[in-house]
Amino acid sequence: MFSDLSAQKEGSSLLCRPASEDQGLAVFERTSLAYSPSSERYGVGERSFSRQYAHIYAARLMQMRPLLSERAKEKWGSDVLIRKLCDLETGEQCCIVGTLFKRMELQPSILKEISEEHNLLPQPARAKYISETDELILEDELQRIKLEGKIDKNKCVTGSVIAIYGAERNDGKFTVEDFCTADLPLQTARPSLSSDRFVLLASGLGLGSSRADSMLGLQLLVDMVTGQLGDLGEQSGAATISRVLLAGNLLSQSTQDKDASTKAKYLTKKTQAGSVEAIRLLDELLLQLVASVPVDVMPGQYDPTNYTLPQQPLHRCMFPLSSVYPTLQLTSNPYQADIDGVRFLGTSGQNVCDIQRYSSMDSHVEILEETLRLRHLAPTAPDTLGCYPFYLKDPFILEECPHVYFSGNAPAFESKHIKGPDGQEVLLVTVPEFSSTQTACLINLRTLHCEPVSFSAFSADEDEESEMNISH
Amino acid sequence: MDELYLDNIDEFVNDHDKIVTYKWLSLTLGIHVNTAKQMLFHYLDHKRKESSAQLHATYLVSGKFVDNGQTSHKVSVVREEQLEDVKAKMSLIVSVHVYSVQKALLKDSGPLYSVDYDAVKDSLKNCSKYSAIRCATAVPMSSLELQQAREMHRAPSPEPENKKPAMNGNGILASKPSAKPAKGIMGMFANKSTPKNQDSGREMKSEQKEDAPVVDAPKSRPAAKANPMMNFFGSQPAKKPEKNVKEEEAAQSSSTAAEKQRRSPQPEQKRGDAVAEPQKNTKNDSRSKNKRIEDSDSEEDKMEKKKRRRIKLPEPDSSDEDVIPDSPPQMETREASPSPKKEVEAVTHSYQGNFDGKIRKRRRVLKSRTFVDEEGCIVTEKGYESESYSETEDDFQPTKQALRDPFKASSSKDDEKKSQKKSSASANKGTKQASIMGFFQKK
Repeated sequence: MFSDLSAQKEGSSLLCRPASEDQGLAVFERTSLAYSPSSERYGVGERSFSRQYAHIYAARLMQMRPLLSERAKEKWGSDVLIRKLCDLETGEQCCIVGTLFKRMELQPSILKEISEEHNLLPQPARAKYISETDELILEDELQRIKLEGKIDKNKCVTGSVIAIYGAERNDGKFTVEDFCTADLPLQTARPSLSSDRFVLLASGLGLGSSRADSMLGLQLLVDMVTGQLGDLGEQSGAATISRVLLAGNLLSQSTQDKDASTKAKYLTKKTQAGSVEAIRLLDELLLQLVASVPVDVMPGQYDPTNYTLPQQPLHRCMFPLSSVYPTLQLTSNPYQADIDGVRFLGTSGQNVCDIQRYSSMDSHVEILEETLRLRHLAPTAPDTLGCYPFYLKDPFILEECPHVYFSGNAPAFESKHIKGPDGQEVLLVTVPEFSSTQTACLINLRTLHCEPVSFSAFSADEDEESEMNISH
Repeated sequence: MDELYLDNIDEFVNDHDKIVTYKWLSLTLGIHVNTAKQMLFHYLDHKRKESSAQLHATYLVSGKFVDNGQTSHKVSVVREEQLEDVKAKMSLIVSVHVYSVQKALLKDSGPLYSVDYDAVKDSLKNCSKYSAIRCATAVPMSSLELQQAREMHRAPSPEPENKKPAMNGNGILASKPSAKPAKGIMGMFANKSTPKNQDSGREMKSEQKEDAPVVDAPKSRPAAKANPMMNFFGSQPAKKPEKNVKEEEAAQSSSTAAEKQRRSPQPEQKRGDAVAEPQKNTKNDSRSKNKRIEDSDSEEDKMEKKKRRRIKLPEPDSSDEDVIPDSPPQMETREASPSPKKEVEAVTHSYQGNFDGKIRKRRRVLKSRTFVDEEGCIVTEKGYESESYSETEDDFQPTKQALRDPFKASSSKDDEKKSQKKSSASANKGTKQASIMGFFQKK
């Protein structure tokens, strides 16, 4: 544990007079690790939006079909019949592979909204769009078929590619007896490390918001990581934090002022966009960090980059002060990198939030596990999650199993260890939103254990704070 | 010395009524953060022992905290009164130290943040100087390395690479457009002019390196190419540099580049550039200055490309060296903005002057023809006429000098040159264009 590591040091307390030089003036060297980014697959070069989104599904199915056939054979015997939908015969037990589609009544549909026949008012945003009347449909390259039976439609989301075992009934629906997912891909072995090294994950910094409560917490975080805060023991512990990963939503939602486009020009002439000041704050914050530790910055939902996944890295021209440091890495969302042999893969949370909206799952870590088992980062893209129209291949399909799989901007910190069918071990981490929870995560690369670090200050309502239950 | 800090802190807390945080103290006094923390503790201790001063302190407590089975590392800033409470709640204390000392009782920790924010903001460059952790890789890259890194990123598009060096110095951008039209018109003369340009480019480069240490290697490389243009700007009554100054991003970089232009005394460069100028200037004359700035962007790109091509033909010419000393003072005078007409004339004359006298060539020259029209009015028309000439450098120097007379910033050196020019002007009067010196000579 980080605390244990830091407290081990027999350093003298700083509650004393400044004694002779050496003791208090200890300077620790930041441990540097081998780092190799591998987020190139999420970079989109020349973009052309003239293509239809159907191509992604075709590419996805094409890529996943062989994997699913393998899994199906493993699960139901090697002699199981794997049929295409067009070759189905009524009553025959077989396995079909295809993409799930969940037809939801409450799913916002722009066509319904603007249709004059229905005369509908725009639907208010809901927390969940699932209802009892949802239907599951399996689609393959040519046809689609309705599904019924032992499949929990509330847990399924559109876009997941699965294999289903069952039979077709007379009325044209397919009765599901069992199903399987592609499950985890193969994993390269993690090298065993000799000493404790940590990676700090934080997300949802929320700069530029009207409420500045979290700013002291943020400053404490920066001070701790850069080694200014704390005793000698803590500073030497902080020196083992070899990397900081900011997983999205560095700017607060309030900087996304949509009124500017609708307001009259004369009212907005002299006003600056909220994100300008916020980016400047972020640059100064990053400067303090990059002067001391390598930082990877991922964009999030409210950051000034493109909206569709994969989000491209924030441009370095926004960070004039900090981009001169080689320790600043502006990366894409999703993010993949090898830190000292440990493969990290994660997103800023948009994919998880989207699945949460269209399924009954609520726990972010449960959703993370689900996406890992489906072997797809964002199955709901492009249906309900914005995505670039890929056509050659789907970059969100996991080809190699990560060691640490995270998602940012979760309501609370959660972590879980899961095991795969081929001996894979993955640490799932949901990084909490800093602006509301004042918590970040520290991952120990040696043990693959995650620990939350929380920062707090005092305020006028002191008594209420101490009784507040942080976990929810 | 050791006790001085006590007085310092005392002054800050009591006299200035400041909230002294350890970070603020460390940045203000330039000491290690741990020393600052210890100093604050000592001060607090000292003050409380000697007098019951109304001092309040906040402490930083960090340690292991178990909450509902979840262990976490908790770092918190607490008031003195709450220190023991918080310590008791933690299962393992990692560190405790003084966070800040202030006179008033703080209800809210907001001011602590603002104090630190201001302190850090004032010394952004060395915010990690006094911290306890050093990172070997966190060294800011020099602009050379930065540009290399960015060029690697931009490998697929060579065009922006060209533009990038251009953006570094205003003169460079200006020189690009000058190269292109120069190349077109001066095609015949390219052989002779390009060597000089390159030669002067090299000279200019070395001078620039001396003169402007701020400029880094990549800048000087394109600067070499830009030399002809920059030189040309020197000869030009500063309008071009002015335009470029407005265009380019940093005032400072542009001013250093402008200085470069001034200092570079390459008359032969002006030759090449002058060719491009006539077209550009006549075009620009008809528009407002602001528009000129925008237009010159595209033109300059072309010109610089042409300029670069010319420079590639190497052929140093010693005869041109003689004329070099004259130009520096000329460059200075150019800073004053002249009327467009004079600029045009200056261009044409300098354009002529840039060419080596030994070559007899035909070229298009902007000439003014004065004549009386039907109604009996004297009309002066400017038009291009092809003319062959074979004057030497010196002949054109006087003309250039004469043109500069009406300019506001004229130096004494100009006067000397004027006399120089007078003598040479009279010598080669026959093949010269009508110049303003003509007024003086007719007498």
